Formats: sequence, C-alpha cells, structure tokens
Amino acid sequence: MSVVLYEPGVEEAPVRSRRGLVWETIRRRPSATVGAVLLLVIALAAVLAPWIAPYGLHDQVGPVFGRPSRSHPLGLDDGGIDMVTLLMWGARISLVVGFAATAVSILIGGVVGIVSGYFGGWVDTLLMRITDYFLVIPDVPLMIVVAAIWGPSLFHIVIVIGILLWTGTARVIRAQVKSVRERVYVKRARALGAGHARIVLRHVLPQVAPLLIANTVLTVAVAVFDETALSFLGLGDPSRISLGKVIENAFQRAAISSGAWWAIVPPGALVAIVILACSLVGQALEDALNPRLRVAHLGARTFRLRPLVGRGAESV
Amino acid sequence: MSTLLQVEDLHVWFELPDGGELHAVQGLSLGVGTGERVGLVGESGCGKTTTALAIMGLLPPTASASGRVLLDGKDVLAGGEATIRPRRWVDVAIVFQGAMNALNPVRTVGSQIVEALELHGRARGGAARARAAQLLESVGIPAARAKRYPHELSGGMRQRAAIAMALSCNPRVLIADEPTTALDVMVQAQILELLDALCRDFGLALILVTHDLPVVAQLCDAAAVMYAGEIVERGPVDALYHDPRHPYTRLLFAATADLDGRDAPVVSIPGAPPRLDRELVGCPFSPRCDRRFDPCGTLRPALRALDDGHAAACHLNGVGG
Amino acid sequence: MPHATPETRLALKRQFGLDKSKLTQYGIYLRELAHGNLGVSFENSQPVWSNLRTATLNTLPMVALGTIFAIVIGTLTGVVAAWRRGTFVEGATVSSALAFYSMPTHWLGLMLVILFTGVLPTGGMTNDFLIDPSWWTHLKDVLSHMALPSLTLGLVLYGEYTLIARSAMLETLGEDYVLTARAKGLKPWAIIRRHALPNALLPIVTLVALSLGYIVAGAILIETVFSWPGVGRAVYEAVLQRDYPMLQGAFLLLTISVVVCNLVADLLYFKLDPRITA
Repeated sequence: MSVVLYEPGVEEAPVRSRRGLVWETIRRRPSATVGAVLLLVIALAAVLAPWIAPYGLHDQVGPVFGRPSRSHPLGLDDGGIDMVTLLMWGARISLVVGFAATAVSILIGGVVGIVSGYFGGWVDTLLMRITDYFLVIPDVPLMIVVAAIWGPSLFHIVIVIGILLWTGTARVIRAQVKSVRERVYVKRARALGAGHARIVLRHVLPQVAPLLIANTVLTVAVAVFDETALSFLGLGDPSRISLGKVIENAFQRAAISSGAWWAIVPPGALVAIVILACSLVGQALEDALNPRLRVAHLGARTFRLRPLVGRGAESV
Repeated sequence: MSTLLQVEDLHVWFELPDGGELHAVQGLSLGVGTGERVGLVGESGCGKTTTALAIMGLLPPTASASGRVLLDGKDVLAGGEATIRPRRWVDVAIVFQGAMNALNPVRTVGSQIVEALELHGRARGGAARARAAQLLESVGIPAARAKRYPHELSGGMRQRAAIAMALSCNPRVLIADEPTTALDVMVQAQILELLDALCRDFGLALILVTHDLPVVAQLCDAAAVMYAGEIVERGPVDALYHDPRHPYTRLLFAATADLDGRDAPVVSIPGAPPRLDRELVGCPFSPRCDRRFDPCGTLRPALRALDDGHAAACHLNGVGG
Repeated sequence: MPHATPETRLALKRQFGLDKSKLTQYGIYLRELAHGNLGVSFENSQPVWSNLRTATLNTLPMVALGTIFAIVIGTLTGVVAAWRRGTFVEGATVSSALAFYSMPTHWLGLMLVILFTGVLPTGGMTNDFLIDPSWWTHLKDVLSHMALPSLTLGLVLYGEYTLIARSAMLETLGEDYVLTARAKGLKPWAIIRRHALPNALLPIVTLVALSLGYIVAGAILIETVFSWPGVGRAVYEAVLQRDYPMLQGAFLLLTISVVVCNLVADLLYFKLDPRITA
C-alpha cells in the first residue's frame, strides 16, 4: 500500500550513489528525520522497559481505572496497573511482533522477488501467479481464520502476519531486480563466467538493498497494525501484553462506559505514532530512490518578478 | 515592419532544491517583427526553451524573472498572469517538441482544437468542429482524424495537429520549440515545409528554438546563438555562416556535418557548458575557446553591434565586446 | 459445547458431518458450494447463506457511505493540496491525512465513541426500544446509528485517498499537456478540470481498487467496535464461537467481493483510458 509523499520543495537532483543513501535521506529530509527519531525513542523506551519503567508490570498501584495524576500521568488500567508502564511493556511486544513478522515477510518476499526478477522466464511467471493469488485474498480475514484455527501464540501471530505481507515486497523487489539485471556491469559479470549466486550477492543485492530497507520499514507499519487488529479481535497471545492487547482489555472491561479514556487513547496513539514514523521514513526512502524530476507546470503560486537587473548598455 | 514582440534584458532564475539558484537566462534581448523569422540556437540547457516559456509567461512556480517582454509595446511580463493570459494563443502561440506529451492523451485531437477555438470566442459547437477539421486539413491531416486520440496518430501527425491547434486563433507570432527533434528525417522535412508554407501564407512571425543549425538555415532569415543563458551572436543567417564573429558560432557551424560532400572534418567542441548556479567570471565560453586571450578570463564581453544587424559578444571584435 | 454429553456430541458431529475425514469434509463443502449451499451455522442453526445475506445487507450501506465520503473528500483535498504545492494548506492537508492514515481503525472508532457518547448512538444498528416505528423514524434511527461507524471508515480511508490523489495530481501537473493547456490561455481551474483531473483519475482508480482489501479489514474492526450486525461482526463472532461454517462462508464472501471490486476497477480503468483497448 504505497503512497508517494512528495516532500515539499524536493524536485530533486538524481541520487549520487546507493551507498549511504538511507542515512543521507534520513538526514536530509525533515519528515524522515522526524520519523527516525520517533522510532528510535520508542524502540529505546521499549527495549529498556524492564529497567526504566516507573512501576512493575503486574503491580496494582491503585484502583481500577484510576484517573491520571501526578504519580500516574496516564492513569491506571482495569487492573490498577500504571498505564505508562503498560505502554512501555506493550510497545516491546508490539515492536517485537512487528519486526519479527516483517523479517519473515521480507525474507519470503525478498527471495521470491530476487529469484523471480533475476531468472525470469517460467520461474518468474510461476512465482508471480502465486503472488497474485496471495495478493487478492484480503489479509485480515485470512489472518483471522488462520489465527483462530491455529491457536493464539506469539509465534503463530508472527508467522501468520508474515505469510501475508510478503507479496508487496516481492513485487517491488522483482521490478528493481529486473532493471538491475539489464545493467552493463551485470552482463559483464555474466560474460566473465560469474556464477548466479555471486552476481546476486555482489551486484544485485547492493543495488536492491535501499529499496528493500524502504519496503521493510513500510511493512513494519502494516505488521504492527495487523498485530493490533488481531489482538483486538481476541486472537492475540493472551499471556503477553502488546499495545493491541491493552486496547482490547480496555474495550472488554468497559473502559469507555467508565469514562476511562486514558486506558484507550494512549496505547492507540502510541501505535499510531509508530505507524506514522515508519510511514514517514519508508516513504521518504522510496521517494529518494525514485526521484520525480518533474516540475509542476501549474500551481497556485506563479513565478516571481524581480526588479530589472541591467547588464550594461545593449548597443544593438 | 513593426516590432511585434520585443524582449529586453530578460533574466530567469530557478530555485534549486538545496537552496541556491540557477541563473538560466542572463540578460537576453530579442526582437521579432511582422513576418520575420528568427532562430534561437544553442545546445541543450543553454536557456532557449526557458526564454520561450518566459515570453508566454509559462514559467513554473519555482522560477523568478526580471526584464521586459513587450507585446505591441505592452509589458506582459510585469503585468503578470492577468495581462498575458488573454493574449496567449491569440497573439503568441507555441508548439512544443514532438516527442513530448503535448496533447492530452484522454481527449480527442479535434476536441482539443475546438477547446482553443471556443475559449477565445472564434467559434462554438458545430462551427468550431468544422473549423477544427478545416485546420487539420490545412496541415495535411485528414479531417476524419479529429475524432482520434493522440496515441492513435504518428509522431509527425501529432506535431502537425499541434501546429494546427497553435494556429487556430490566428496568432501573429508562432514560437516553435524544437519542432522537428525526435522526428525522423523524412518527417522533419515535411514539418519544416509545412511551417514555411504556413508562415508565408499567414504572414506569421516565427521564433524557431532549436539546436539544429540546418533547420535554422532552411527556415529563418536571422538567428541568435545562445550560450550559457545569453545571446553571444546574432545576425542574418548568411552572415553567421560565412562570417561568424564569435568562436562558438564558428565551432557550431563546423560541428555540423556538411552533407554537400566537402571533406571538412567534423569538429566537436571539447568541454561542457558552464554551471549556471554560480556567478560567472569573464566570458562564459572562454574555457572551451580556441581563441581566448587575456581579457577573456576576467572581463565578460557585452553584445556589441558590428555591421548591419550583426552583433557579437566577443573580445576578439574589440575588448569589452 | 462444554456441557453436552458424549452422546449429544456424537449426534451433533454426525449431523454436521464432522465425523468424516477432513478431505471428505472439504469435498462435501465444495460440492455443496457448487449448489449454492454454504452449510448451516453452528451457532443458530440457520443456513449460512441467509445469515450472510442479512449481514451483507447491513454492512453495505455503512461501508458504502464511508467509502464514498472518503473518495470524494479525499480526492478533493488531494487535488487542492497538489494545486497549492508548497503552501501551508498543502502541509496541513498532508499532515492530517498522514495522521488519519496511521491511526488503527478500531482505535479511531473507540475515540469517536468516547467523543460522541451521548450525542450519537455508539452501538448496534437500531434502537431496540422503538416499538413498531414508522418507515421514516426507522430510517432516521438507522442513519443515526450508521453515522459513527461510517465516519470511522471514512476518516481512515480519507487519509489514504488524499495522499493518493495528491501524488497522482502532482505527477499529472508535471505533464506537458498541462503546459500546453496553460499556453492556450485556459484558466487554472479549467486546466485542472479538463486536463489534469481526467488523467490523474487513472492511477487514483487503480490505487483505490487496491485498497479494497483494507476496507474489508476495516469493516471487521469497525463492526466489532460498534456492534454493527454486519459481515464483519459475523466473522468476529464466528471466530469467537468457532462457528466454522459461518467463518468459511463469510471468508468466501469477502474474498469474492474483493475480486469483484478489483474487476470493476479494471473495467472502469478500461473505460477511462482510451489508450487501453480490449
């Protein structure tokens, strides 16, 4: 689900080199910088949760749905547990699931894309047919069905999500690989007798890597969302607290009718921020890789007028 | 012969994404009178298309400009969109490069010509459609093709259709921006003949923007040679060919293969045009010039009149240009 | 069925054909499917088909309302954002679109519930306390219940569609025929309406079609939040109750509708773009 961002003011010079492209983009484009920083902060908080969480994850420190106060800026949940603590621990699981599922998806999608794009022919056709079938099936219902049948566990969730997200990656990577394959140095390598594996590893992969990274980041966003959705529908791992589970708990325990908005708004907001951050970084990277060199011929602003310059007497 | 269109000291800058500016046109002056045909010649990137766009007020939002563009004595550049828009197509029309997507792919060719006619009140409805068919015929396209979409026409036909559309409101000046580039040679010749005939029959003034010298030689009476955003030499085509007063002009003509069969070697000009995002010191052509001498590196030559109608910006004609 | 005796269990198993091998079960299912028989729901012992029909009729208006809202508003704001490139309007539009695009559907629904409790109904499709309502009252009742669920779907989709429309428009505004149109002396709005928009619609249609799978997911989540008795909630409840026939039927229905919608989108594209021929 790729949506081009078109950073303001960036009709841009073509990218000079692929190396360090990711870093460059993140540095140069404000949206990517913001996204990367947000992700970093959240990931850090999640990783360090066991040490820096203000309270224990299972410690009841107040009444059910306690209101926000100075010692508990985000209030308490249905078990009297501090929300901030819950958020930090929840982010851990959500991010773990997000990254793990993405890893599965990227692995499958990347391999399929590379093999398909590189070898072409019947292999390509076959793999693309399979991809098309997966593409058409609506993701979430299938995830629901599979998760329902297979049983709730973190591992299952990761696999289920991963199995359905790889198609997007496969397509994108395949297109890129196809174009790389036609490049001169690849043909030269083949002419020199280099084996396929070598060519792929040394020539194709580095060219494809930035796009793969962009796609990975975008996939993380979807994976995190999917985990939230599955948890909300009761298919998440009941023994682990993810952000999705926090929302589900609140929903099930009638947080709304109790007026305890703080049990619902923060966890979802955190998920939204993670998805937003991933989208920003991913889109900025994709943009950088496919520069649109077009200048708009039409716009609300028109060209500006400047005072006369005068370059010396025109003597004709 | 009155001057229809006069450009005075035109400068155009483009904002660059990293900050900074590209000084694409640097003090260009150009005039065209009734029935006159002027060629604007130069390599890609020298600013000729930008000049054409500036004349019609079609610069993109990232541009800024200064100078004057006088149409019948009225400055349409300073007047802004409100001044130039009613005069577009009616006084000055433009035809773009044939390879471009200059026609809307989802509307029929005929309807796009009709749009121009109806917009400027030349005809409506059935009368407009008839007139459009007539215009197509006059450029050698069967009237039935009016109902076709651009992708159904060949490149040459699309270009003719664009020309027909440009002439639909009887402009007095036609700007042709690379009208034959990206067309094959046979078709090129046809388009040039067409332009020749049309300009003659309708008394059109023509500004022909191109990098292709033979085209200018065939179609134009006078030409202006552009380099690095400014005109470095201008005059009657014959004078430019037989008596070039700027090394760039001379090398340009020499670089064109001579099909007459004479054995003059094809000379290419080494180096590349200067970057226009920084201030230029001295003559912009001097790094590539085979005749440069002392003042060329520090003093920028001004365009100076030489003989009748012939002017050049080169210290070789006298230091200071 | 936790308290059933072993005999009852066996009888039920026989009735639902669960005692045969998995393969046979699937074969029977396909055969029945070919005859239009989707099986009988475990839960209420009604044919799956009629359950789904009611559910679909409930879901369609709600989803349609939200989707149409999103397409219309999203395209409009996207076009305006592209037109006003580089201005505050564009920045604000993109930011808000991104924000809505990033919000988990069910969470947004819950937020709306929090915001509108007391103002608009937040659960179910009808007010069960209305006795024998007139047609008009019934309609108003349903609409008031539909407001929040549709709004939720609409907002989430609006984010995505705005971004799609904007990028499609920006691409189109860089095309040469836009420059030609401007050179002809057309006013900006006429250029957008007659030249830019018809061309920009092509990628927009394609991308909107691709988002239909997402609408299905959204519908499931939204109907769960708002207890809307539609296909989405049918899926959810079938999962909870392990009502496999219902689950299979609903899933089949959803898949088919996504395929059909993609087909429709292809046909639409075919109609809009004269460059594509059969």
